[in-house]
Amino acid sequence: MAISNSTSRSTARTSNIRYLVALLLALVATSVARADAAQSFVFEGKPLPVSHVATVGGKLAISVRDPGLAQLLRATGASLTWNPGERYVLFTTAEPQIVSFAVGDARYDVGPRSAQAGFAPYEMAGAVYVPFDELMSALYLAPKRDGDAIVIQPQLATFDVRGSGAGTTLVARAGIPLKPRVVSETAGELVYAFDGVGTSLDRSRAIRADGIRAITFAQSGTVRAPVTTVTIALAPGTGHGRLATDDRNGFSLAIGGAAAPGSEPVAVATPEPTDAPVATAAPQATLAPSTAAATVTGIDAHAGPNGYSVDIAVGGDATYDWHRLRDPDNRFWIDIHGATLAAPIADVTGSDPVEAVRVRQLDASTVRVALSLSGQKHLDVQPNPGGVKISVYADDAGDDVARAGSGTLGSSAAVAVAPSPVPSGDAWKFGARSTYVATNPRLIVIDPGHGGSDPGAGRGGLREADLTLDMAKRLRDILTARGWQVVLTRTTDVDVYKPNDSAHEELQARDDIANNAGARMLVSIHVNSFINAGPRGTTTYFSKPVDVALAQAVQARAAGVLGTKDDGIVKSHLYVTLHATMPAVLVESAFLSNPDDLAKLGSAEWRQKLALAIADGVKDYAGAPPAPSQSANQ
Amino acid sequence: MKRTLTLVVILIVVAAGSWWFLSHRNPNTIGDTLNVYYTKAADGTSEVSWPVSMRPMQSGETSAEHTHNAALYAAVQNVAGPPADVQAVRFPAGTRVLGVTVAGNTATVDLSGDVKNQGGGTFGENGEFKSLIYTLTAVPGISAVAVLVDGQKLETLPGGHLELDQPLHREDF
Repeated sequence: MAISNSTSRSTARTSNIRYLVALLLALVATSVARADAAQSFVFEGKPLPVSHVATVGGKLAISVRDPGLAQLLRATGASLTWNPGERYVLFTTAEPQIVSFAVGDARYDVGPRSAQAGFAPYEMAGAVYVPFDELMSALYLAPKRDGDAIVIQPQLATFDVRGSGAGTTLVARAGIPLKPRVVSETAGELVYAFDGVGTSLDRSRAIRADGIRAITFAQSGTVRAPVTTVTIALAPGTGHGRLATDDRNGFSLAIGGAAAPGSEPVAVATPEPTDAPVATAAPQATLAPSTAAATVTGIDAHAGPNGYSVDIAVGGDATYDWHRLRDPDNRFWIDIHGATLAAPIADVTGSDPVEAVRVRQLDASTVRVALSLSGQKHLDVQPNPGGVKISVYADDAGDDVARAGSGTLGSSAAVAVAPSPVPSGDAWKFGARSTYVATNPRLIVIDPGHGGSDPGAGRGGLREADLTLDMAKRLRDILTARGWQVVLTRTTDVDVYKPNDSAHEELQARDDIANNAGARMLVSIHVNSFINAGPRGTTTYFSKPVDVALAQAVQARAAGVLGTKDDGIVKSHLYVTLHATMPAVLVESAFLSNPDDLAKLGSAEWRQKLALAIADGVKDYAGAPPAPSQSANQ
Repeated sequence: MKRTLTLVVILIVVAAGSWWFLSHRNPNTIGDTLNVYYTKAADGTSEVSWPVSMRPMQSGETSAEHTHNAALYAAVQNVAGPPADVQAVRFPAGTRVLGVTVAGNTATVDLSGDVKNQGGGTFGENGEFKSLIYTLTAVPGISAVAVLVDGQKLETLPGGHLELDQPLHREDF
């Protein structure tokens, strides 16, 4: 393994033939030779744990598994994609640029440029060795000898001058994050020092860009602690300002006032919301009295031969949804929507498998009946002419039971929803039907996005989960006033499935509510967000052919009245719309991350407008709700 | 007679050669460039492609390996994204491709857990995965893309919106 270079070289001193033979041997030997063990590497003033290097024809090769290389990649913000046995070795730099090597091929690529390395990468001991100097250069690092050590010196590698009609932008880039130190800023000259970076940029450049006369670069300090000073000579009366950049190792200056295209101001002013943050208390008082038409008149809880039954007596039309938690929390509850309690009902102490039964008026139009179970028992929820019956059986159900469901009480009948005007293709994975038969054609399920342990996006004191619940309740109030039955997947800041569940469990629980109830449609309300302030506007997302007409109707209304940018309807592979059997849309109301949109989201008046726009879209799509009596006769 | 026979033989050889050439010509051959896509941040849905130079097939590299290498290269390019000054929808900082496997016409892309740091909106998630699916399905021979995160199949990202446990196609967006 350890055939040293010096042994090979001494062999090569004799005759020509021996020299050639030795040269061949040396070429073979060096390709597997470890570098001198005494060789030490230094980076940013500290020893760098480089241990897996070799020399090939006098050039350094480094293993992709070398711990010193891993440290350099972290420091430069680069990453490696390579797996054992694979030919390609790909580095992603912070810029970002891809640095591409391949075993057996001396060609390497840095971004759009291809070049030939001193040798081809090769495999040894389960790793790939790549050309060291070429890789360092691509990472804007320069290996420099300092005594016995090799110092890996970060470089100020580029300093671009970009002109535009609005002014000039200077963009500097280095191997590590640049921390400019202002040496002097006068009317005619800017001087910045960059500690810890060297440079090989030309010492001075005459620039013919607006506002700039010349830029000079000077390197001082030592090999291990270099300092690069940049002096920018300005035309008289030229302003400047630092710009934000997505490049972690970059530094950007605007010269001449205005920012160049593609740049953003450092500070984005975030206006305060125009009114108070979303109230956590539900605006229940605004509900139309007609929405709570049903009455819960009593419960009958009793043990039977096979378990325990709870009969809930309900008079009038109502909808319900039920949920159960996961072991060891064995609670079950059923919410009866559009109902009030005729009179308070006392708690019931049950008997195994039901330990207790409690009945509460949850809010103005919801009655909740909660059961504490002795385990994950089999249970059955069955509506009947007098209300709904919950049967809990003695046997354990295991973990894979339904955890949510919903349905209707009173009169209901199925009608067909108008076929989608968009022909259904054969590429659809779910709901590949052009007609959908709602078993409860008066019911619309509204899904306020996120909630509970998942607050969604947040900005400026506003939380997505609060905003979506507020808008959902406003929409519910409008739709119920127009004669629709409405079920919200949640009415408070809770997880619909269970706290800290997966997004998939949470979304499926929301779909279950709509699917089990046979709802006419599902409208999920969300608030968008992005990593910068640029994107803004209102979008209606959909997934299935049967969703399109509803999405178009809602977006058409939203675009007209909200004052936000109309981002149109967008098809996506969204869980909540895919797994809803009925027409379903996800309305992304506006962007929390955009100052203008944020101000709108913070306004109760605007949120009311959004709810009204969705309700009007529903009207355009579905017309008026079927009357209960008509439904019963069909 | 002899001339006619020679002519017939030549014709047969030419016909056989043409047939062999046409039947063995693979219309899906990976060319000199790959088209890598990004989603415009301006609207979150428009796909823009840029060409990247593809390394020619190496000696000892099978066509299956070349397809794998092209898919890997394309995925790494896509996840890195276009230059920093391009206003693109980008994967969360630090997201990288851990590996790619190709089985049949499905490429499976394993992303690092950084992709879970979505920060909220459908906008970003949709744009990120749309461009990934567009990029990989632009590689000849690949028409579907499965996604893993840290080697695991996920139904959705935490707090996420997209269904990710089934292979995705261009038609899904």
